[in-house]
Formats: sequence, C-alpha cells, structure tokens
Amino acid sequence: MLQIPDVYLAPLLPILIVLAGAVASTVLGFSLPRRALTIINLVLLGVSAVSMGALWNSGATAFGGGLRADNAAILLGISILVGSAMTLLVSLDTAFRARVSFPEFDAMLMYSVTGTLLIAFSGDLITMLIGLEIMSLSSYVLATLQDSRRAEESGLKYFLLGAVGSAILIYGIALVYGATGSLNYAGIAERTAGLTPQNVAILVGGALLLLAGFAFKVALAPFHQWTPDVYTGAPTSVSLFLSTVVKVAAFAGMLRVFGGALQNAPGWASVLQILTAATLIIGNAAALFQPNFKRMMAYSAVAHTGFLAMTLLGVPGLGGAALAYYLLVYTLMTAAALAIVAALQRTEAGMSISDLRGLYYRHPAYAVALAVCLASLAGLPPFAGFFGKYLAFQAAFQNGYVWLSVLAALASVAALVYYLRPAMLMFMPDRTPAREYPHGERAATTFTVALGVVGITVLGILPNLWYGWAANPAIWETLAGR
Amino acid sequence: MIHLMIFLPLLGSLALLATPRRWREEVAGFVAALTLGLGLLIWRGGGAELFSVNWVPALGVTYSVALDGVSLALALVTAFMSLVAVLYAARRIENPGTMLSLVLAMETGLLGIFAARDLVLFYVFFEDALLPALMMLAIYGKPNRMRALVQFAAYTLFGSLLMLLSIIGVKYYGGSPTFALADLVNYPVTGVTQTWLYLGFLAAMAVKLPMWPLHAWLPDFHEQNHDSGVPDVMGTLYKVGGYGIFTFGLPLFPDASEQLRPILMGLAAFTALYAAWIAFRQTDWKRLLAYAGLSHMGLVALGVFSLNETATIGAMYLLAFQNVYTGALFLSVGMLQERVGSVHTRVGGVMTQAGALGGMTMALWFASIAVPGLAGFVGEFSVLLGSYQVQPWITFVAGLSTIAAAAYALTAYQTTFWQGRPLGGVRVADLRHTEWLVLGLPLAVALFFGVYSSPALRLIQPAVRGVLSALGGQ
Repeated sequence: MLQIPDVYLAPLLPILIVLAGAVASTVLGFSLPRRALTIINLVLLGVSAVSMGALWNSGATAFGGGLRADNAAILLGISILVGSAMTLLVSLDTAFRARVSFPEFDAMLMYSVTGTLLIAFSGDLITMLIGLEIMSLSSYVLATLQDSRRAEESGLKYFLLGAVGSAILIYGIALVYGATGSLNYAGIAERTAGLTPQNVAILVGGALLLLAGFAFKVALAPFHQWTPDVYTGAPTSVSLFLSTVVKVAAFAGMLRVFGGALQNAPGWASVLQILTAATLIIGNAAALFQPNFKRMMAYSAVAHTGFLAMTLLGVPGLGGAALAYYLLVYTLMTAAALAIVAALQRTEAGMSISDLRGLYYRHPAYAVALAVCLASLAGLPPFAGFFGKYLAFQAAFQNGYVWLSVLAALASVAALVYYLRPAMLMFMPDRTPAREYPHGERAATTFTVALGVVGITVLGILPNLWYGWAANPAIWETLAGR
Repeated sequence: MIHLMIFLPLLGSLALLATPRRWREEVAGFVAALTLGLGLLIWRGGGAELFSVNWVPALGVTYSVALDGVSLALALVTAFMSLVAVLYAARRIENPGTMLSLVLAMETGLLGIFAARDLVLFYVFFEDALLPALMMLAIYGKPNRMRALVQFAAYTLFGSLLMLLSIIGVKYYGGSPTFALADLVNYPVTGVTQTWLYLGFLAAMAVKLPMWPLHAWLPDFHEQNHDSGVPDVMGTLYKVGGYGIFTFGLPLFPDASEQLRPILMGLAAFTALYAAWIAFRQTDWKRLLAYAGLSHMGLVALGVFSLNETATIGAMYLLAFQNVYTGALFLSVGMLQERVGSVHTRVGGVMTQAGALGGMTMALWFASIAVPGLAGFVGEFSVLLGSYQVQPWITFVAGLSTIAAAAYALTAYQTTFWQGRPLGGVRVADLRHTEWLVLGLPLAVALFFGVYSSPALRLIQPAVRGVLSALGGQ
C-alpha cells in the first residue's frame, strides 16, 4: 500500500519563499535589470522572515519530522536571513565594480540561502545533506563567478576541498545510519542509548566522520586551510556571504546533529574539544601576522569558529542559546566590517592594514563604524561581541571545559592585538594621500553598515532583546524532536 | 541622581560631537562641572543607596549601582580630576573637541567602575574605560605609540579575560542566582576553587594596579601619551585595581586572600621599592611620574592585602588622593613641556622665570612624597602603620620606598627647576589664566585633606570596617 507523505506547506513556507526568489532571478533575469531582481529578493527575504515569525512556537513539522520549523530553526534562520539581506544590500553597490553584476549572482545567492535554511530546518540527516549540498554547490559558483584568475583559483580550491568534506560527511551519515538504523535525528538520539558494542564503534566512527565533514564547512582547524584563500580570492561581497551565512548554516547543522541527534553519543566531544583548541590557537596566531585586512578578517573568521564551537561543548540548553545569540552578533559585525572593506577597497584584493592609517580623517563615519565592529569582534563591552564571547565561555566552562576556557581567554588576547591595531591606526593622523576607492560611500552600503553597528550596539547594551528569545532551554533540548 | 551622575559625561561626550566647534569647550566644562556637582550633592545626601534592576535576566546579570563609602570618595575624586583635565585640555590642546569628548566618555567608564555592585557590570565599565584611553593614545600619542598601545591593550585585556572566567566561575561554583555582589557573597565558593578564582581575579587587578611583574605597560603608556598630560590624568585614575580588590576581591575570596596574604604583601612591597629605584634613574618626567605612581600603588596594594583596618583605610585614602596630586603633576609636566619644549628632567633653571609653576609643582611633589600636612602623608603613614602590625619586615622594605621617593623627586626637581638656566634657553612664561586653577585646585584639595582628613575618613572608615568585619576581623 502506497503511503502518501505528510506534506505540509506551512513549515516549508520560509524556504519556499526564498526559493521563489531564486527561481524568479533565474527566469526574470532575461527581462529585468539586476538591481530590480535584487530588490525583489530583498523583499522576499523580508517576507520569509515574517513567515518565520508566524511559525514561532508552532513547532510545525513536515515529511514525518524530516523538516522541523521549531523555534531553534527560526532563531537560526533569522540570522541567516539577516546575513543574506546584508550581502544583497552590499552587492547593490559593489557588484558592478566586482564584475559580478548579473542576474546569475542573485540566483545563485538565493539558491544558496535556500540550502542554508534547509539545514537549519532539517529534521533528519538526508534533509540536512540536501541543504548542505545546495548551499555548497551554489557557493562554489559564487566564489568563481568573478572573471578573474584569483576568483577561479579560490573557487576551484573551495570546490575540491568542499567536495572532499561532503564525501566524508556522507560517509559519516552512512555509518551513523548503519549503527542506529535511522536517519531521523530523533530516531538516532533514541537509539544511541541501547546499542551493542560493535554498533557503538560504528557510531563513534560515523560521528567523527560527520565532525570532520562539518569541520571542513565551518573551517575548524586543521580543516580550515581553504578559508583564507577562498575568502581573499572571492569578491568581497561573496566573502561576506561565505563567512557569515554559510558559516551560520554549517553551525546550525552541527548543532542539530551534535546537540540533538548525537548528544549522547560518545567520543565526538573530546575530539571537538581538541579541534576547538587548535582552531583557537591557529586562527588567532595566524591573524596576527596578516598584512592584508581582508585576509586578516578571513583568519578572524577562523578564530571565531573556535569561539562558536565552544558553545557546542556546552549542554544544549545553554550552548544552543549561546550559539544563537553569538551567530546573529557575529553575522552583524562581520558583515558590517566586510561591507566597509567592500566599499573602500581599490581592488577586490582588499586593502592592507597600513592603508587604514588616518581613515578617521577621510571617512569619519566609516572609521568609527569599523572601529565599533572591530571592538565588538574583539569582545569589548558594551558591544554585543562581548556577550557573545561571554556566553560561549560560560557554556564551555559550566560543562567542565575549564582549561579550554582559559585557553580561549589567552587566545583572545592575540585577537585583541590584531583587531586593535587597525582600529587604532585609523585614528592616527596621516599626511599621505588617501588609498581608498574615491566613490566608496553609497547609500545601500552605508545602510548595511549602520544596521550592523546599531545592531551590535543595541544588542550589546540590551542583550535581552535577542537572547531573551533564545534563552529558553526548552527550545534547545528538543533539537532532536523529543 | 546616581544614574545621571554616571551617564551624564557620556551624554555630554556624545553631545559634543553635535556641538558647534566654538562652544565645545564650554559644553564640556559645563558637563564636567555638573557631574562633580551631582557627586557633591550625593555626598551631602549621605551617599546613594543600592539600586538594582535586572539587566539580562536570562543570565542573572543585574544593573546594580551604589555610591557610598570608598566608592563615593573615589567617584568624587574622579569627577574632580576630570573637571581639571577638561579645564586644562580646553586651553592647551588645539581643536580639543575629540579629546574632551574622550575625557568625558572615560569619566563615565570610571564612575561606572566605582558605582557598579554587579560583577558583570563592573567588567563592562572596566573595559569601557579602556576604549577612550586607547583612542587618546592613538589620536594624540607620540611616534612610538603603537607599541605602547598594543602592550597596554594586551596586558589589560589579558588580565580582564581571566577575570571574566573567574566571574563566571564564582557564580557557577557558588550557585548564586545573579552576579550582584550581595548575592555572590551569600553563596560563597570554598576551598581550592576559591584560590584559583581569586588568582584569576587578581590577574586583572594586578595589571591595573599595577603590580610587578605585570607593570611593564605603564611607563610606555605614559611616555607615549600626549605631552599635555591630560590623557595621563585619566590614566592615573585608571588605577582601579586597588579598589577592585577591596570591593570585590576581599568579600568574595576571604579565605584565599588570607592564605595568599604574605606572598601578595611581599610582591606589593617589592613593587613599591623596585619602582622607586627605577624612578630614580629616569630622565623623562613622564616616565618618572609613571614609576612614582607605580611605587605608590605598591603601597596601596600593601595596605589592601594586609587585611588590617588601619592599613586598608590608609590604602583607600592614598588611592583617592594619589589621583589628585599625581594627576596635577602630570598636568604640570604638560605645562613645562609647553614652555621649554621638552619633558627631560635636566632642563635647568625654570624656577627663575616661572616661579609660580615651580612652587606649585614643588608643593605637589611634597604631597606625593608624603610630607606631613599634605594628603599623601595620611595615606602612606596609615598603610605603613597598619601593615607593620601584620608583617613588620615586609613593611620595612616597603617603607624604604618613601625615602627613595624623596630622593628621586627632589633630584629631578632640582635639576629641572633650579640649577643654571642653559645659555640660549627660551624665556619661560609663568602660569596664566586657568593654569592657576588647574594646579591650584588639586593643591588646595591635597592641602585640605592633609590637614583635615575627617570628611574623607568618615566616608572610608565604615566601608572598610564593613568589608573587614565580614572577613572575620584582622
């Protein structure tokens, strides 16, 4: 007897709206200019956010739990939408200069967002994998889209390493399925309890492969090596997208899998602890020695992966909330900082840190905004980065990872040095001619930067505005649908 | 009123950005004076009671502030010296808008530090005071400021991040529902954990205090700052380490502070003597003052760590008034630099042409080296008197630093203000206009509280008794 799957459109709605934007960009690209498409997409992202708001507390599921629009998904989804909207806004001004101003850019971007949302909403490993592949494939194209050798090289590198990561991930999924006989997060979580020793061995192997696959996607050391090259080689608006939205989605996936499905599986946490420690050391140390600002931001993204990963080591009730808060803040501050780079750089290679000297006297508002972003990235109060870091420390500390917290504190000192150097250079008087793109400040970029800066300031002074939604532990304890 | 006092300078700092250029000095001066006025009103009203609301309920972070006792004394001094700094900066620095705005922004951070009664709030203000300090150094510093800046930031933030972990640990291991000091004291942490957490907390405070071996940022910070001394005034106010240990460290980690007492006292005494020794060899007034400040902070630390009532009262007294006269000395160095174009200690003969500047500076130095009748004496004497009862030998070592202080201060003073004026030296103008106020007001305060210390002691004494009695006495 054929059984019809339970297809409900409501929990799918946020994803479908974004997908509609992608399809529209593909089809309408022949008749409409790109700017119009971008604006349509921005509106659709807004509509998608509204539909998410409508789904709050509904706990709707579809496909027998394969897709879950629970509160966790919505909180992570909103971070994704914020990052995507900021990317689109920046691309309004800079896509032309970056030679990616054609409808395919928007289409690929929206497909990628569709994939990221699928990951955040996933209820089983296959949905997650599909989302991850949609996201990854479109990101490979985005990274390569610019007609330049550097972009092609970075895109190819991204593709090859990303494909390896995906392969490892799929193998991990296969092993987890082999051990537990289920692909559904809830099913896996249920069955991890009473397994035979052989099955436990397979499960541990699967979990570790999954961890390695995700480590590629979020750039955990030692799987981070593609990140600096790709973020530097890709057009800046694409780097912005990759380092915010794609990372948020990959962390959403990790949270679902490790915080939910494999929560009680043995082994992975101690390995993740070591990977996190390595990431904190390598990311922060390498960022210290970067002469190029954009490349430094790439390493800073790696370093932040370390802090974000600390939240996964906490108990889900605390760690999930910390992750949701940190991801939004991270998105806002990284996107705003890279938006400024995109606006002021002369070439897509970014600008060197010494070029920032005296920026305050040439572009006072941008300089102050960038300083705020850097201070927030460094975790200085009253900006939101402080509470993000605080929550991450707290989550790991309270779950017994004391030495990792101490290590993270030490690594943060290196972070402060490399964030403060450019921030302070901007305020030093300078008599040499300006090295910025002369027509740098445009309305949409300025709006993006303002959004980011206001966001991190307000969320820093009143963290409850966002954390209050995320703080309920019940949201994060039902990640696997129990 | 207390909230207004804390945040008024910050509002003023923001308003300054929107003020037309020619009114900025007046607005800044008005805001600074108003803040001081509010502080005095709070003082007259007997201090501001604890005010507490939830800030981030999900995390147990509260917005708890109070100004009484030691914190009120320090807040008043901060407000007073900010006003003096604003007065001087307005005239001395060309186009002073940015500087004034930073001074005011920093004032909010400092007042917040003294008012905070919640550990996370304390941390937030603690870091907030840092940003304007860094900006002052970046915008107005000398050519080698980048090194000084990175050093300063790395040291202070290294300490404060460990402190943050300690803060998390105190709440977690103690099981307190919030980070408010009152709650944390009711849910104490015990045993070895307490010692470790205290060490983490001390890391931040020892950097700020500063205490050997975490002091290396201090001389460079002062040397590379703007000549006028305005950033240094704010920088000396930055020494909140002694206050932090007193207000948070002792109540939260009573056993650990008793256990570590000899080691910490030894370190403090060593800091005092070592800094005084180095100060003797300095040829740059700013570095000299930096090391002098370091030496005094060693005495403050000695007093606090001794857990003795007299010594702790003396430490708090010294902490409050050291800001006044050291700050004024930094400004007088700025005036000297303005006149002779150098901060070298071997200028020679300034006294002959600028008698008032020389006289005022000398009087302030007397306050600094604890000549009886000036505020420094009351503090240093009480510290030594009290800690002698606890650790006589360590106190003896620290006491040597007061002799050394007279040596380095008077030597440098003599080579700058007396001796012969070098041939071809520029003519040195004497004090003008507001400069009289800038040096005169702090001197008056130092003199007043040196002779008549009871208003300040009335504030400090009960607070110290309260903290130490909770500790189980001596």
